[in-house]
Amino acid sequence: MLALITGGSGSGKSAYAESLCVKLQEEIKEVPMLYIATMYPFDEEAYRKIERHRELRKNKNFNAIECFTNLEQITLDRKTTVLLECMSNLTANEMYQEGGAGADTVEAVCRGLDRLCSQAANVVVVSNEIFSDGIEYDPETVRYQQYLGCINQYIAKKADLAAEIVYGIPLIHKGEALI
Amino acid sequence: MKLIIGGVFQGKKAFAQQLTGIAPGAAADGLTCGYEEIFQVPMIYHFHEYVKRRIKDGLPYRQLAEELLAKNPGVVIVTNELGYGVVPMEAFDREYRESTGRICCELAAASEEVWRVCCGIGTCIKAQEGNTHACDGRTAK
Repeated sequence: MLALITGGSGSGKSAYAESLCVKLQEEIKEVPMLYIATMYPFDEEAYRKIERHRELRKNKNFNAIECFTNLEQITLDRKTTVLLECMSNLTANEMYQEGGAGADTVEAVCRGLDRLCSQAANVVVVSNEIFSDGIEYDPETVRYQQYLGCINQYIAKKADLAAEIVYGIPLIHKGEALI
Repeated sequence: MKLIIGGVFQGKKAFAQQLTGIAPGAAADGLTCGYEEIFQVPMIYHFHEYVKRRIKDGLPYRQLAEELLAKNPGVVIVTNELGYGVVPMEAFDREYRESTGRICCELAAASEEVWRVCCGIGTCIKAQEGNTHACDGRTAK
């Protein structure tokens, strides 16, 4: 199954996504899950965030790999549950990192996601709500919002489950019966 | 404990009064109240501003949810829902919105009811089992 878990900053979306993975993996418990980390550790604050996430998923049987761009290159060696965290970083990396997809970010990310789904038992994608604070951003940031908005819509359309997490409470927008 | 969240200018305070019967006059205003006041009042509004002031004034804030639960477990908390924008440029803003989020996650987990207010209309997004008034029709009584 494919699940999209979205929410604002500090909303508890990661913790929810991890618990969902653990639940989905129950039938194939002995196999480690795969955590795809997309945050590039560019400064001290990023390191702290990464550390916090490591701590959160400790003892949950995840192997972790990093993927800053080119999601499509990932080949799984077995069918397992994959947690991709998070789409907002992957999108920014594709747009701005050297060797990233640039103007083709939306297509590249969606292709990568399709390929991941074709290999995995379950894919849980964490994304981010960055769309409704009423601030007028510069055109480049608006383009980032646009790309991430398109990607989120693509995932939600394809997904079996789409949930927005509000302070730890899941608001299920699609697939309520699955929870 | 009850938690009432929503965007700015959505009528959260009026909704809180309608839901709980507590008038804003009896509540603490997070913008101006004393730091100890929130542990004594039946309701606090502008809770996010209270958190922001604590961070700015160098007071401990990460244990705030725990402290509220211990000292004022029946309190009604009205707060802006933050964190739906692009990551802010300023480190303080990032810390403020993320920390407020983490605190509110803890408060939501401990609350028997959580309401999200939009255009003055509250939607119950969490209620304890058997609490029919809260989620009946998903709006306030």
